[in-house]
Amino acid sequence: MVLHEDIWETSSGIPLKPVYTDADVPDSSHHGLLGQPGEAPFVRGAYPEMYRSKLWRIFQLSGFGDPNDMNQRLKFLLDAGETGIIVKHDRMTDDHLYDVDHPEIMERREDVGLTGTVTVGLRDYEKILEDIPIESVYCKPGGGVPQSAPYTQACYWSVAEKRGIPLKALSGTGQSDFFLTYLGCPMREQIPPEAALRFNLDLIDWCTERMPKWVPVSIAGYNGADSGLNAYQELGSVFANAIEYIDGALARGNHPVEDFIHGIGGVNFRTSMDIFEDIAKLRAARKIWSDLLQSRYGISDEKKLRLRIHVVTAGSSMTYQEPFNNIVRGTVMALVAALGGTQSLGVSGYDEALSIPSDHAHLMSIRIQQILQEETNLTAVADPLGGSFLIENLTDELERRSLEFLEEIENRGGFIASIADGWLMRKAEEGNSKLAGDIETGKRRVVGVNVHPIDDSILEVEAFEGRSGQQSWENAMERLTELRHTRSETGTKRSLDDLCRTLDSNDNLVPAVMKAVQADASIGEIGHSFRKVLGNWTPPSNFF
Amino acid sequence: MPRVLIAKTSLDGHWRGVNVVARALRDAGFEVILGGEMLASDIAAMAEQEDLDLIGLNVGGRVEVAERIIATLSDAGLGDIPVFAGGTLPSSGIERLAQLNVQCFPPGSSMKEIVSAAVKLTQDDPLNKA
Repeated sequence: MVLHEDIWETSSGIPLKPVYTDADVPDSSHHGLLGQPGEAPFVRGAYPEMYRSKLWRIFQLSGFGDPNDMNQRLKFLLDAGETGIIVKHDRMTDDHLYDVDHPEIMERREDVGLTGTVTVGLRDYEKILEDIPIESVYCKPGGGVPQSAPYTQACYWSVAEKRGIPLKALSGTGQSDFFLTYLGCPMREQIPPEAALRFNLDLIDWCTERMPKWVPVSIAGYNGADSGLNAYQELGSVFANAIEYIDGALARGNHPVEDFIHGIGGVNFRTSMDIFEDIAKLRAARKIWSDLLQSRYGISDEKKLRLRIHVVTAGSSMTYQEPFNNIVRGTVMALVAALGGTQSLGVSGYDEALSIPSDHAHLMSIRIQQILQEETNLTAVADPLGGSFLIENLTDELERRSLEFLEEIENRGGFIASIADGWLMRKAEEGNSKLAGDIETGKRRVVGVNVHPIDDSILEVEAFEGRSGQQSWENAMERLTELRHTRSETGTKRSLDDLCRTLDSNDNLVPAVMKAVQADASIGEIGHSFRKVLGNWTPPSNFF
Repeated sequence: MPRVLIAKTSLDGHWRGVNVVARALRDAGFEVILGGEMLASDIAAMAEQEDLDLIGLNVGGRVEVAERIIATLSDAGLGDIPVFAGGTLPSSGIERLAQLNVQCFPPGSSMKEIVSAAVKLTQDDPLNKA
């Protein structure tokens, strides 16, 4: 979405000139000061040969209905050429950690399984992953909010243990992101941000000692951006969040920064239809991270300064009207991600505004990426736009604005303080209302919505129905009842008592959660333990 | 000043659309109550206590949950409060809600249209005419 008529500027408000020349290139980008791809500050790419040595990972959000539905869809996606898998959970049950007979779910049973797959406990995770080679496939188990991340990761790791796969062999990420649950999509019940920070630091500590290829916390700038933050606000707040993790982990004193930084240095960003700004954003992100780790934390090993990026294309750019147009939008945003040097990519389904992806929409998201990888020469050259007057100018400008925004957050007490008092939410809201206003006035054009609309059913798409909520709910109730009747009640109870004691202490919670899921505690019992000990967070209301 | 409750029927979490619509209504002179995720009984209780003129439902999930809310309102004798809805509603859902006199605004709807529908719904409301 680009501004037209009398104002030409990027989505974040950086003015665009009709043409750029050598005079617009910042001094720092001249004379090779930017370094080469694979060299600090990595502005030109994370690796020397980029996609010649390793293609970006095709990594699509997926999940609906029962664990069996999830398993089938994962196999379908892997067969189609996906190179990493994401187990997306039902937000109602898994992100809230509710059993399916919780009163909040009972009245909404038709929604069960609509936004992801429903699990009642570890046994469901075994079904989800049946016949999937988790020793070799990169995986994100769980949608990744802090209160559910220990549960979903503990389930995934427990399946690996049962199969005899050493944890150190697993590669993947748990996400466990603040932006979704404390900014754009607050849940009805969730642990307070301070407790979430403790969860994430526990995960970082635990994985640092055991899982060199795992990224337990992957900050999701995407969720900030699609909640309304602009490009430099997205970058500034992502790094403010990372600083809280680094400082928190350092304050514990369990590990030197060089040892745990890998677990924080895999993040995700959004690409939108603003081609140039978002290419520049990914380049600026790598530079800010590298410089920050070097100057503030004194890391000298260059390999540790490398930011690895996953990109998700903007779901909010996908229109309800004329959904097939979204295949084009997905292609453009995927191209942006590759030109910015992403390591991994998920393309939103063309039916994003209607439903979770149908199998057809999912396949198209993969095909878009495969066509870019196989047919275009896009993968032949690292940082193909490096040296462009415009891109270097925007990269520099975004770096400057992002660092300013980061400083603003730090001056007001840091990332969590800025979430807790509603400040960041207000920033996102300002962005949202500006965008809505610009679409309303036509300043921002969206084909088939506010320009060139036609009313023709030829462009309609059926919403993906999946398994009915009633059936997903009934099936989950059956599995939950069986779990409750076939487990060792005393063993489960002991594990939950231990979990509560651990939550109430300074001990790392991960082993206690692992024990609870392995003792067949249900998801709701784990959630209940969290809420009982840690309480519930009320989102700020002053953003509105 | 007409009072409108904006509530989410589902636990999907996404507030973005809700907030944008709420702001547009507030700017148009409505008193807006942001109710967050609410069960049918919560909405009925609030409708009773807060003397609502209009209820806006964000349907992030399936249409049956919205239908249950309408039925609960009607059972509680609150069926005369007009209801409108938005969200990721497929066309089949829009048709089903239309049969219950619920006007729907899927993604991409213009704020102007939403606001003028809300104004019209509250003006048509016999409670509000007095």
